[in-house]
Amino acid sequence: MKIAVVGKGGSGKTTTSAVLARTFARHGHDTLALDCDSNPNLGISLGIGEEATEALVSVRDAVDAGEEQHATSMDDLVSRFGVDAPDGVRLAVVTAIQNPEPDCP
Amino acid sequence: MRVAFVGKGGVGKSSLSGSFARVLAEAGERVLAIDSDPMPGMAFSLGLEQSDAGLPDDAVEEYEEDGRQRYRLREGLTGTDAVEQYAQRAPGGVHFMQLGKARGPQWNNRRQHFGFQRLLDDLPGDGWSIVGDLPGGTRQPFLTWGRYARTFLVVIEPTPASLLTGRRLARLAETARAPRVVAIANKVREPGDAERVSSRTGLDVIGSVPFDPALADADRLGKAVLDTDPDGPTATAVRSLVQTLQKSEEQS
Repeated sequence: MKIAVVGKGGSGKTTTSAVLARTFARHGHDTLALDCDSNPNLGISLGIGEEATEALVSVRDAVDAGEEQHATSMDDLVSRFGVDAPDGVRLAVVTAIQNPEPDCP
Repeated sequence: MRVAFVGKGGVGKSSLSGSFARVLAEAGERVLAIDSDPMPGMAFSLGLEQSDAGLPDDAVEEYEEDGRQRYRLREGLTGTDAVEQYAQRAPGGVHFMQLGKARGPQWNNRRQHFGFQRLLDDLPGDGWSIVGDLPGGTRQPFLTWGRYARTFLVVIEPTPASLLTGRRLARLAETARAPRVVAIANKVREPGDAERVSSRTGLDVIGSVPFDPALADADRLGKAVLDTDPDGPTATAVRSLVQTLQKSEEQS
């Protein structure tokens, strides 16, 4: 099962995603939670805490830093850059805007 | 006054920026309110029923320079003309426009986006006050949508996700050398909330807006809180915020 949660800012996408992910995990599914928001806060809703969420390195940053060559598969990438969240959910941040990039609105 | 409201989705940018624009217009300023979101948000808080006030395609022309595609306002059309012709009038005399809105089935909104940048570049400095409701999150407000602004108002509620977004925006602003970046503490419930926003983001808090059920009610109805509860906590806080910013502009 692959689910994408979308909607207007502030309508509850992150909270809904986190509750879905933890519910699936509690029912015994291997669950990967992907934060695709350029302002990634899913870690907070999953329950790993504000500091750990802020410290997450995005997969995109890892790829940019050349780490991708050392990962042998997407599973490997997720296991390297994902973190464990409660109920056995694995969380990975896909992308985050860390620095200004003049040509990208 | 040229201000831009930024912050996490759902913190109250649209509600506060629309109210702010109206209060500023009531104080006698000529106000252009701009909304970056193609779905109505700021329009409701201005007191408009619905809105489709974008820049039409024929207001913007494409040209080539050094092999690159560029955009400018149609020949003879000034920024002020464009606002007078295409902006929608909101209560209090506010001129309202939606920026960067793609029309029809096309996905590409470059013409809209860059045409709007030209419009803002062309508005005379002191003739217009500009109040912008910018994209939520940390898409780069300091470099593109908000580059007209002299002051960025980061709306922050005292929740971890909003505080984290505030810290990210403060960091982005520093590297982008944004002119002035300050915080507004919104949905404040406890005495220490504003202080918490300040200490957790490193930003000066120049105003606090209390948690206000009347604002939530207005949002549900799609109405301006200035109309449904004109002397309530949100309206009062926004008036005080406008005064604070007017004073700080006089001093600078």
